[in-house]
Amino acid sequence: MILEKILSPGKKERKVTDNMRRHIQLLCAACDLFRTAMEKDDRNLMRDVIDLEREGDSIRREIISLIYEGAFLPYLRPDLCRYVEIVDNVFDVLGDTAPYYLDGKIPEQIKSECIRIAYFNSKICEMLLITFEAMLKGDDLREKTLAIRIYEKKIDDIKFSLIRDIHKIPISNFWDGKILSEFISGLSAISDIIEEASDHLQIINLSMK
Amino acid sequence: MKIQELMTTKIESVDSDKTVYDAIEKMVDRRIRALMVRFPEEKLNHGIITARDIVFKVLAKSLNPKDILVSEIASKPAVCIDKNMDLNEAASIMEKKNIARIFVCDSEQIIGVIALIDIMTGALIMRARGDHDS
Repeated sequence: MILEKILSPGKKERKVTDNMRRHIQLLCAACDLFRTAMEKDDRNLMRDVIDLEREGDSIRREIISLIYEGAFLPYLRPDLCRYVEIVDNVFDVLGDTAPYYLDGKIPEQIKSECIRIAYFNSKICEMLLITFEAMLKGDDLREKTLAIRIYEKKIDDIKFSLIRDIHKIPISNFWDGKILSEFISGLSAISDIIEEASDHLQIINLSMK
Repeated sequence: MKIQELMTTKIESVDSDKTVYDAIEKMVDRRIRALMVRFPEEKLNHGIITARDIVFKVLAKSLNPKDILVSEIASKPAVCIDKNMDLNEAASIMEKKNIARIFVCDSEQIIGVIALIDIMTGALIMRARGDHDS
């Protein structure tokens, strides 16, 4: 555990890294749930995503409190806090996107592509967890962050194709269109933020060397 | 890693009775290098037309793409592999047949397409996950 070894080993640091791990694991669970809810068109599961977002919020508060109580060396604290805030931002986007799914109806012609994005979102999140674990071990993150960028690019490609497709879908009223547009924006923004989180892990990793 | 994990599920296609110029337009608009060719009268047979076919069989010979039908230069039937095949097997088929993309099928239904770049990125993801021996 390079973070604890190099900087300031102690119970607080261990607690922070354990919570950071729990934070990403919860995010992976939320992304998986989001995907399953879409695949099964299960609205109750989609509501559970919103609950997980709240749980993620409380883990974030706990981590930030521990850091401000003095975990880790001061120069590292802003970067660690920033990283936790970025991960929390993914929770926020997931939590904001879920209600759009509940309020609207995804047109059949784009449903499979939306599910595909949700699938890649859970994969990219899994990779963020792998990257985090690698950082704790002090491993090189280059290959992990590249895998994240590959997933992000895949999602981007699907997004552009989706945008083309939604132009062809007739919209009967403003709110239907707005809900669909917000849903797709949220769904495809998740990977961008996870990519940002992985870049930040890389910064933290470099700053420890 | 199974190919269905990384294949592109959105397949762009063109009818066999369209001109090569129609195919070029679609490829440029969509920024893609190949199109599935539909032969409407033959339900199960699909073909493929690639940028390579267009360049070597039409443009490099100074033929007019508006005068040539897609059916005249498309490769048919398109090579199709099972969605549960792994990346290495797919790569080996592509190497043997000297092709850069291959359709993915579920029973006889085409459900996606996988290109060399997908095989490459898939291998990189496997390395990052630690699912490799090297």
